[in-house]
Formats: sequence, C-alpha cells, structure tokens
Amino acid sequence: MSELLVFSNYSMGFKENNKVVNLIDNVSFAVSKLAAVGIVGESGCGKSMVSLSAMRLLPANAIIQGGEILLNGEDLLAKSENQMQELRGKQISIIFQQPMSSLNPVLDIGFQMQEALTRHFPGTSKTEADETIALELRGVGIHDPAKTMRAYPHQLSGGMCQRVMIAMATICKPSLLIADEPTTALDTTIQAQVLDLMAQLKQKGSILLVTHNLGVVAEICDVVVVMYAGQVVETGKIEDIFKNPQHPYTQGLLASVPTLTTKKSRLHTIQGSVPAIWDFAKGCRFHTRCAMAKSLCENEKPESCQAGSPGHIVACHVYGGYI
Amino acid sequence: MARFVFERAIRGAITVFVSLAATFAIIRLMPSNPAQLLVDPLLGPEAVQAMAERLGLSDPIWIQFGKYIMELARGDFGFSFRTGQPVGPTLFSKLGWTLLLLIFVQGVSVGLGVPVGMMAAIKQNRLFDKASNTAVILGVSVFVPFLAFALLYLFSYKLKLFPTGGAFTPPMKHGIAFALDVAWHAVLPTMALAAGNTASIVLYTRNSTIDILKEDYIRTAYAKGWHQGYIMRRHALKNTMIPTTTVISLNIGNMMGGAIMTETVFSWPGVGRLIYDSVSKQDYPMLQGAFLVLSITVVCLSVITDLAIMAMDPRITH
Repeated sequence: MSELLVFSNYSMGFKENNKVVNLIDNVSFAVSKLAAVGIVGESGCGKSMVSLSAMRLLPANAIIQGGEILLNGEDLLAKSENQMQELRGKQISIIFQQPMSSLNPVLDIGFQMQEALTRHFPGTSKTEADETIALELRGVGIHDPAKTMRAYPHQLSGGMCQRVMIAMATICKPSLLIADEPTTALDTTIQAQVLDLMAQLKQKGSILLVTHNLGVVAEICDVVVVMYAGQVVETGKIEDIFKNPQHPYTQGLLASVPTLTTKKSRLHTIQGSVPAIWDFAKGCRFHTRCAMAKSLCENEKPESCQAGSPGHIVACHVYGGYI
Repeated sequence: MARFVFERAIRGAITVFVSLAATFAIIRLMPSNPAQLLVDPLLGPEAVQAMAERLGLSDPIWIQFGKYIMELARGDFGFSFRTGQPVGPTLFSKLGWTLLLLIFVQGVSVGLGVPVGMMAAIKQNRLFDKASNTAVILGVSVFVPFLAFALLYLFSYKLKLFPTGGAFTPPMKHGIAFALDVAWHAVLPTMALAAGNTASIVLYTRNSTIDILKEDYIRTAYAKGWHQGYIMRRHALKNTMIPTTTVISLNIGNMMGGAIMTETVFSWPGVGRLIYDSVSKQDYPMLQGAFLVLSITVVCLSVITDLAIMAMDPRITH
C-alpha cells in the first residue's frame, strides 16, 4: 500500500445563520507516496477547503459533515487538536497563495524559519538551527542565506518570500507538502523557478497541488483531480485527463487553455460561472452549465464510474451511459 | 534614525514654545490682579501699583514674555508670587510625584488592558468578550472626578482600606517601608485614572487583535504546529502593540490634563495639585512653570513612544 493521504467520501460545509450549507460533497481521492496530485477547478469550487481540511486548519464556521481523511492509515478527523499540532509542519506542511502576507511582517526570516524547526525539534542548538536553516535556504535557491535570515519580509520580493515559505514548510522533512496556489501571486519567470523547485521536492515527498492553472498541473503532477462546485467530477492519471478527458467540464477546461498551434481569435469558454455555495444545483452540480445536460442530470447525482484505463474515474450520466 | 530624533526634537521644541506662549497669555487673561491679592487693601492703590511693578506685571505683555524667555534660557523659572521661593526646585519635586503616578497608571492599564483585550479578541462574541465590552463602555464613559469621589467614599470612608489622601504618611519612612507606604497611598488615585486608560487600551487591543487573527501569517504559525498561546505571544502581541502604543501615547497626554482634578481630589502632591493651588492664588510664575514642564513631559513621552513603535515595526524607516 503506497497511499499516503486518502480522502474518503469527505464532506464539509459552513454554518450560516444556524443552517449548514454544504460545500464539499463526497470527495474521494488518494495521494501516493512520492507522487504529486493536482486538484484543479475554478475559483470557489472548494479546492482550497480540501487543502485546509487536510491540515485541519478550516475557518471557525466550517463543519465537517462526514467521511475520512487518512494519513498513513490514521484518520485525521478523529485526532485531537494537540495531536494535529504534532503533525502540522512535521508530517504535513502547507504553503499558501500569498507568500508576502503569509510571513509575519515584524519578525525576521531567521526567527520564522527557526520556530518552524524548533517546534518539532526543541533540543536544536542555535548554531545547529542556523546551519539547517542556511542549508534549506540554499536548497530553494537563496544564495546568501545569512543576509536573508536577517531580513524582514517586506525587504524580500514575492518570489523570495515563496522560496522562504517552501524552505520553512519543508525544514522538518514532511512526508506531504500541500501547495495551495503556490504560483498565483508570482510573475511568470518566478513561477517557472518555483515550479522547478516543487518538481525537485517530489523526489523527497508527496505533493498535493491545488491550482486553477492546468499548465502548472501538467508540469509537476502525476494524477489530476478535477473539482467542480465541491464535487470531484473526474480523476485520472495526467495522460488520461489531458489526452482523453471524459467529463464535459474537464473537456471544457482543457478547451479553454490557449495554445500556440491553433489559430482562434477567441478562446473557448464554459458558459456561466461557478454558482455561490447556497445556489449549488441538485443532481449533477454542473448541469446548469453543461451543453449535454438532460433531465436526469437535474435530479440525480451521477455515480462515479471507471473510464477506460485504471484509476480514470468519471462522475457523469452522459459517460455512464444512462442517457 | 539620528535625523528622525533631531526632526522630532525640533518639532517638539516648536510645540513646547507655542504652548508656552498660549499659556503665558491665558494666565494673564484671568480677571483680577495678583498684586491686589498680595497687598493689604488698606495700603491703597499706590502700594498695589508698587507691588505690580516689583512683580514685573506693569510692563506690556510681550516685554513680560521676552523677559520670561530670557530668564528661562538661563534656567531660571522665576520666583513664586505666593512664597517668594524659586519655582524650579518646587516644580521638580512635584513633577517626580506626577511621573510616579503616571508610571503606576500606565503600568496598570497596559498590564491589564493588553491581555484582557487580546483575550476578548480570542473569545469574540462569547461571554468574556461581552463582559469586557460592558466594562469598557463603563470605563470610557465614567467621569473621572466622580469615580475618584466614589472610590474615596467606598474604600477610604466606608471600608477604611486606603488613606483619604496624600502620597505618604508623615513622618517620612525610609527604604522599603516608604515604598510600600507610597504604593498604598497610590492605589486609589491609580484606580481612578487607570479605569478610562485601561478601557481604551482594551478596546483598541481587542479590535486590532481581531484583525490580526485573520492575517495569513497567523495561519502560517498554526501550520507550523504551534499552539494558540505561543502564537498570541510571539506573533500577535508585537503586531497588536503597534497601534496600542499610539493609544498609550494619547492616553498619557490626556492623563496629564486630567491630573489636576485627580491629584486635587486625592491631595496627591504632584504638578496637577500645584496647578490647582497656584490658580487660586494667581501665582503666575508657578503656573507658567507647571504648564511648561507638563508640556515638555508630554512631548518627550510622545517622542519615546514613536521610537518604541519604530523599534517594534521594521517596516517604518525614516
């Protein structure tokens, strides 16, 4: 068994005015050891909540409605806050979309790196810690670690901050790194450098990459999970998803990616946008925007079914042959 | 850094000068003539006139002001109309008592206000937060002299726990016994002045902490595996203290203004009490000196708080 992290029928929602509104509905997928899994979807599809769920760092009004999140076979949802604190930073780490605001503006980088290490290795001496930090910073391509350690976040560029965040998240050698839109706030050349770094990290541990950028997924991931409005619509190996997409939503997403070879004056679009959480449709949540939707799609939630190659799973009535 | 201190010193000097000129004029706008108070009415108007000339009050106001500035430049605060003693030494012995009370009050309000405000932010909309909000509303709206009288009535007169006034029980003790005696006398004036200060610090600390707890870097600290207590101390506190320090600086200014009332109610031998006594005796040099040292104190403390904010916030460079 080489599965490190498993989401199994996981559902969560938010409590608003004493009512619980469901966001993530029966999400299942697995991250294997030393593999990278990409979760893709539009803004508002719940992909960030999936990553925060694995850290158990959800907002205060979030309610977990069911399912399991297994790390090495142990259910994270059954753990106490104290047990989670032992895991965070050591077994699972996370980097966020906004590297600048994710660092404390009034503390220097050295301190913020050092507390990430000493939280889980409290016996580390100052010199040992400084050496480890310098090594980690060099590992993410920072050439003058001593200077960076003395710097405050506002003195660094966005790309530098994200490198620091990556070094900080991996300093305790976690087995899983969650990256929540790690390149969104960075400009393109810096994006490429950060992606190279992530590709290197894959040799040391698993990565769960959350993004809306299919190019980023193609760069690093082995497996893709496509989410729409809190549901997984299609899962599969990267070749299956990119070469042989089955769900109308996945097909739409891929058709929207600009390419250098086709001559089109306008890019393909999927009509409409992801509905707000309280407007999620019954049945297949995508049917309101789907060109192939039939009456069955409006009323019944599609079951997941195997598509062609092993591990390629689609949740669509059209593909399932029901219509 | 040095340039910042220099600029602030220049601005501070201008502030002090303007306040000096304003108080100099206002004091002399008071009705009635101090010379009249010092001379037996039976001696007639000529004696009053002679006294006014001796005190330098018969000159035009700008000449008086010029002479005063010249004397100040030599470090001379003039002589009290009332006692004939030099103003300087009296003033500095009183200033010590006022500063002592200021340290007590700010110590209590920061020491109590910051933790309570942070706790209220953590427990937002829960019982602790609601209770502290109610206390804050009472604290900022209570009329300080009323609170002072109420405290005196309850703790001194009824319960007899604390003295009714003064800063120590004569004869003056020495060492630890004296310090304890002073602290015991300071309890009620500190409570009276700290109520409003603490309330405003709780209010600002709570609000800034609520904003800070939503920041991404707090989430990062949790993602490292740290617990709430550590994150509040190491990540939230310093960020919270930046706006709170500004409030402390404003509180100090207000407190100096409010010291007249409180020191009078509790017979605390500070500058506030001195101002009260000097107003009723029309003791111009003493009043002038008291206002001057108060304004210098406020300006110095505000420079110190600015420097403290600079030390806390690496983003600020001048």
